[in-house]
Amino acid sequence: MIGKTTALLQTNLLLANLVLTFRGLFRLPGFWVPTILFPAMLYAFFGAQTAGEGAQAVYAAASFAVYAVLGVAFFQFGVGIAEDRQSAFAVWQRSLPGGPAPLWIARLCAALVFSTAAVLLVLATAYLVADLSLDLETQLRLLAVCLLLAVPATFMGTALGYLTSGHSAVAIANLVFLPQAYLGGLWVPPQSLPAQIETLSHWTPTRHMGEVAWAVVGAHPIPTASLFALAAFTAGFIALTWIAYHRDRRSRFS
Amino acid sequence: MPFTKRGRRRDAVRGLLYRLHAGTLAGNRSRRDRAQASSSPTFGSRLMHGTPRTDSARHSTDSLLAIKARGLSKRFGSLQALRDFSLVLRPGEALGLIGTNGAGKSTALKLLQGLRRPDAGSGRIFGQPIGSQGAKRLVGITPQNADFPEQISPRELLAYAAAHFPKPKPMAELVEAFGLQRLIDRRMGGFSGGEKRRVALALAFVGNPALVFLDEPTSGLDTGGQDLFRAYARAYAEAGGSLLLTSHHWDEIEQVCDRIAMIDRGRLILEGTLREIRSRAGRCRVSFSLAEEVEPPAWLLRDFLLQDGRWQRVTADSDALIRLLLRELPELRDLQATPLDLKDTVAELRKETQP
Repeated sequence: MIGKTTALLQTNLLLANLVLTFRGLFRLPGFWVPTILFPAMLYAFFGAQTAGEGAQAVYAAASFAVYAVLGVAFFQFGVGIAEDRQSAFAVWQRSLPGGPAPLWIARLCAALVFSTAAVLLVLATAYLVADLSLDLETQLRLLAVCLLLAVPATFMGTALGYLTSGHSAVAIANLVFLPQAYLGGLWVPPQSLPAQIETLSHWTPTRHMGEVAWAVVGAHPIPTASLFALAAFTAGFIALTWIAYHRDRRSRFS
Repeated sequence: MPFTKRGRRRDAVRGLLYRLHAGTLAGNRSRRDRAQASSSPTFGSRLMHGTPRTDSARHSTDSLLAIKARGLSKRFGSLQALRDFSLVLRPGEALGLIGTNGAGKSTALKLLQGLRRPDAGSGRIFGQPIGSQGAKRLVGITPQNADFPEQISPRELLAYAAAHFPKPKPMAELVEAFGLQRLIDRRMGGFSGGEKRRVALALAFVGNPALVFLDEPTSGLDTGGQDLFRAYARAYAEAGGSLLLTSHHWDEIEQVCDRIAMIDRGRLILEGTLREIRSRAGRCRVSFSLAEEVEPPAWLLRDFLLQDGRWQRVTADSDALIRLLLRELPELRDLQATPLDLKDTVAELRKETQP
């Protein structure tokens, strides 16, 4: 009976956190309009123009799909966490029973929903402006891969959220996010980057995210080196998040 | 001082004067005493357990104490924010934690709420370690700064908070209690500070908690909201709930609390029921006026304070002072001896604790 009550309370708790998180984000056009629309818009204005049609259009669409996921991770997690850390409301939430898990699960679900919407919008734009020819199965695989790539991106955003203040988070997120997108070859194909930049590109997580997405749409094997690199970057971001999270807890709650 | 050297006379006159002028406050005191009797630790325990407490029962119910904190200390860099802070709060008690800004009240509250970890000492909430999930289920907290998500309505926020507790209070009760009828379905983005404060107060009680922490609960609240809060808080404590609140409103402390604890420079310097505090101080303010043509004597200038046209002095021996005044200054008018209000009582006691 007690177990059943606890399970019911946990379910209620998760639902309550999901409802609060989604209500909060959906009623904030300032968040979701740029998060969902901006990658598609950028693709329509620049990506599609530079890529042209055919295979290049497919690769460009995949690049901007990854870019969309990265945006959600940086702005929902990075900026969101940094702002929460300075909010008395978040401190009050900490005083509630139930632990932080339901809130984190709700945030993750929201990130997945917004990432999916952003990726689908990029693909839809690609159909409209670049006559994208990609079968449904490949599109679904691309979507699935993008959601997997959200894992390292989310940890990158979370670390940033714990390392920056609410006031500086947006500026720093842009400062990291935009160069990462460029260096990773998400805006222009890596082979079109200047040679030195292209060399540097291999040391960025975004380049390897791109490699994985390009492999999926190009129907060729995912480069093992990119998988290892992404695993290493993910481990690194998890460690950085852990350190930043505990440093933040020490300064605010100990 | 001149008045201590004089003989004892006119006791009857003095007694009459005292009774005449102190009548109003004496009435207030009686009302407070009744409130204390109805919500003292003993009565609170009766509410909780249905039988009068005995010493052995007290021992066995230690684990049922709302708060039991021992030796809590906290340092921030070079600042010793709290040192050796111990506190017991019983079910049904309302305790007012008072002190100047920066005295350590908020630090004490954060430690008791589990939002900060003490450098030394420990505490329990109804026998559960502070900050544990078990303790959190029994506690209601009002956010100090009510910076709620702007795109959410109070109803949605209260529903969110209620989901964290097994038996939350009905929403309608909170709406009624804190006057939220007009606000309940509006998004909080356009709320004034006072409106947000009403929501914050409702949030503290939504989980039907056994203990509520309130940090300056009526700060920014209009008088209507203050009255609603005080009535609800008093009823909550009389029904067996425990309250720990910080406030700079002395009338609020007097209306809501049974006991006060005062922190000064991180130390608990004063603690007791309102009646105990007053009887420990045992002082009156003696005041009178003088006609303009009367030249005040030197001792009056030295020992009395002239404020709003009245000469006044706080004393522990009002009898002697009044005798002296009647003898030495027959020209005095409108002599009054009034017991100190809580604010002045605490201020007087605080002076005694100053090094």
